[in-house]
Amino acid sequence: MPRTRPSKDPIATPGPAREIPARFLACEKCDALFNYPEIEVGESAYCYHCGFVIFSRRPNAVQRSAAWAVSAASLFVVANFFPFITLDVAGQSNGIVLAGSVHVLADQANLGLATAVATFILVVPAFLIAGMLFVLCPLLGGRRFPGSYWIARLIYGFSVWDFTEVFLLGVLVSLLKLFSLASVSIGVSFYAFALMVVCVTASLTCIGRHELWEYLERASK
Amino acid sequence: MTPDTGSETAPHPYLAHTAAARGLASCHVCARVSPVAEQASCPRCGAALHLRKVHSIQRTAALTITAAILYLPANILPVMTVRQIGSEEQNTILGGVVTFWKSGSYGVAAIIFTASVIIPILKFIALTWLCFAARGHGSLRRPGARELNPRQATKIYRVTEIVGRWSMVDVFVVAVMVAVVQFGSIMTISPGPAALSFAGVVVLTMLAASAFDPRLLWDRVGPEMPVRALSLPLTLPRPRVPIDQSATDDR
Repeated sequence: MPRTRPSKDPIATPGPAREIPARFLACEKCDALFNYPEIEVGESAYCYHCGFVIFSRRPNAVQRSAAWAVSAASLFVVANFFPFITLDVAGQSNGIVLAGSVHVLADQANLGLATAVATFILVVPAFLIAGMLFVLCPLLGGRRFPGSYWIARLIYGFSVWDFTEVFLLGVLVSLLKLFSLASVSIGVSFYAFALMVVCVTASLTCIGRHELWEYLERASK
Repeated sequence: MTPDTGSETAPHPYLAHTAAARGLASCHVCARVSPVAEQASCPRCGAALHLRKVHSIQRTAALTITAAILYLPANILPVMTVRQIGSEEQNTILGGVVTFWKSGSYGVAAIIFTASVIIPILKFIALTWLCFAARGHGSLRRPGARELNPRQATKIYRVTEIVGRWSMVDVFVVAVMVAVVQFGSIMTISPGPAALSFAGVVVLTMLAASAFDPRLLWDRVGPEMPVRALSLPLTLPRPRVPIDQSATDDR
């Protein structure tokens, strides 16, 4: 666990009504109320009523998650600046960069689809990676940047809208179709993108939601 | 404790072991438990605090119905137009599946059929059933009887949530094909209106799944229901610790 300092929570007010709820935890599936679990690092607590895991402490959560986020960031940069797929038909060669697919869609006056694709595979993952770095890197030293709460909220809000692995499956499917049409060469960007998907997923799952908020609350500004 | 008026499906008081029965709400963002009566937003992260998701069933039903309506143009209108020398061919989603199947790409056809037809239809059915189940009509045979097993219903909800995003595959297939195959008059692919419609269907079903509150399924469980019938998964990466059944603080 990272070195933490006792924090001065600016919204804390003394009094019993304020202290009680901080010691509870509610199952998000069945709303059963529990005392805040005191478990060791590496254990997870499950709900007595519905059986779903509600809380877990993962080993070295902040360090691992930050490491995956850094890898994801570098892979994202690589994935965007190298060619993704190159198709050769009858002597003509057409290679696209990741953002190129958005350009083509926009050129064809399909702005809606272009915006959707750009959001799901470029904007959202970029934001998730940047957000995780913004929140986690100061936590490595027990601090937190101002605005970390907002960013953490947005991270968990937008993590659902990250379609990068679905995009990879779509690319694989269209590769199968394109192989029969012409000669296809897969560029560096494809592999970098695939690895980036792994890194982003790992970064988001190495630290649990409860844990991240705990660390944020205990970190000093 | 009077239930939060956000959900009319719990006209009876909340069950004694729940957080809602004590007026405590778990923040949907940071999971911190706070009393609802004192503050409308979570003291830690600032998100809106509710005992149950506001108008959960209504929003889920509305979004599911809209998605089902949008599913019709997504299947009728063409999703992709292939212009080759002299010929222009418009494909719908199902037409594309048939074409793939006939040309021997069974795997591709199966993937696209599963992602574009089976998953969305199952999502519609699952979300509709979850809405009925949360209202207490979980069984068709005995209307009104509390037949549903909330654990199974929650599992269905989780699967619906997780699997739903994969039906976006077809939209990305179209996007990649359009981006790459731009060879002028030799061969050019352009997207059709169905692509955006289908993306809309996926987005709406995902919003519908996130609007649904699984705790509503558990609100109707009576004391006679054996909720302790736990079947834990066989292999666990970490040792699991059962935590205290009830909060011991009585203030």
